[in-house]
Amino acid sequence: MISWVAFRRLGLVLFAVLLLARLGPNTAAWAADALPSVQLNADSISPRPIEELTGKNIARDYAYAWQTLAQALDQDRSELLDGYFTGFAKETLSRAVADQKKSGIRVHYIDHGHKVSALFYSPSGDAMQLRDTAQLEVQVLDGDKMVHQEQVALNYLVLMTPAADRWVVRLLETVPGF
Amino acid sequence: MRHTFVFFILLLLSELSLTGARAADLHPPKQVTAGNGFSIATTGNGDATFYLVGPSDRAKQTVRLGNAIEVAADDVRTAGRYIATVCGSDGCASSAFYVVAAAPAQLSFLVHPSRVPVSAKDAISAVAFVFDKFHNLVLQPVKVDFNVAVKDAPAISRSLPTSNGVAWIRLNATRKGGPAQVVASIGSISEHRVVQQVASDACNLRIKATRKGNSVAVETETVRDCSGNPVPDGTVVTFTATDAKGKTTVDAPIKRGTARVQMPLTGGATISVASGVAMGNEVRIGGTP
Repeated sequence: MISWVAFRRLGLVLFAVLLLARLGPNTAAWAADALPSVQLNADSISPRPIEELTGKNIARDYAYAWQTLAQALDQDRSELLDGYFTGFAKETLSRAVADQKKSGIRVHYIDHGHKVSALFYSPSGDAMQLRDTAQLEVQVLDGDKMVHQEQVALNYLVLMTPAADRWVVRLLETVPGF
Repeated sequence: MRHTFVFFILLLLSELSLTGARAADLHPPKQVTAGNGFSIATTGNGDATFYLVGPSDRAKQTVRLGNAIEVAADDVRTAGRYIATVCGSDGCASSAFYVVAAAPAQLSFLVHPSRVPVSAKDAISAVAFVFDKFHNLVLQPVKVDFNVAVKDAPAISRSLPTSNGVAWIRLNATRKGGPAQVVASIGSISEHRVVQQVASDACNLRIKATRKGNSVAVETETVRDCSGNPVPDGTVVTFTATDAKGKTTVDAPIKRGTARVQMPLTGGATISVASGVAMGNEVRIGGTP
């Protein structure tokens, strides 16, 4: 005779198996929806020290920026960039989305996390420069055909500025090294 | 043992098949300057599809393997990492390269605050970001000249190199009030901002008093800060009359450079003046004549 607890466990296992089977072909979409991990280190920031709450907000908003970036590229929707990008970063990424729509060549990011160091916080608190080492899986697709795939650690130089209720990315530039 | 042998044979075949897929290959330069066209050498033969994916660009064209691929200047205007991929009949091969910023062409300049007391030390913060003509941050160190100038007063200048595209400085306010031009420049490229330098606290307050029957009219000389700049109208000046009955205090704002007040007075009194933390002179008024 099977106990009720064992029966529930079996049900949960079956549910998990079904969920994974369902996610299998859509892992990419699921990955783009997940909030990537961002670890912020502000030990060497200057000239202004970073307040604890500001540090938390920067890490949170930078994670949201990457999440919306991946979604915008996956769904060819540049309006998704409006929330967490501004200035040159938004212009650059919007052009990328427009180019994707036109050419059918898409870039898909699977984000494995970001190690971010805060470099510069302006004396008046209106700009912060960060450097980010991002662990990414990058896929280039021509229609449905994958033409390139790589696991890579990329170095980004980032400029964030405060907006009404959040920090937004003003510049996101890949650099060969720090 | 037999299984191990079969495994290695399969591994070898798979490696050979991968090597075959890499027959088409491409060799971009490691680094390219933004806005400069260049060539990518390829190996292999036959037609292939070339893909170029950058921070803002996606390009695709048919190419002939073995020939160089020409990349247009317009396709590499954004700094960052690019992936060049060529797909022939035997598979795809990719190579990454970086596009770096071109020469400095513009400055993004942040200056705070918009109003500052004269002579205040390190009161103005100026931050300059250096960009090329394609809005890429210029990461090579560049010397930025900062300058604060007020009409008819000596300018304050300092130069600093950028670090990661940023140069910043704290500047002293000049001794003279009025609009100060804060300028950041690299060669012929410059950006201007205006900071209003306002008088600091009042200094050397002087009053004169004139009895008029049962009252006394008290008036300051033009109220100035320690650098001689007129203190702005609206700044409050406090007059205090001390007589046998006690103290009477009256606040009056500065209007057209001076503050004046009329205070009731029957006997003799001592009248003093203050504005903020600055004390002025005292005037003794005798009893009713």
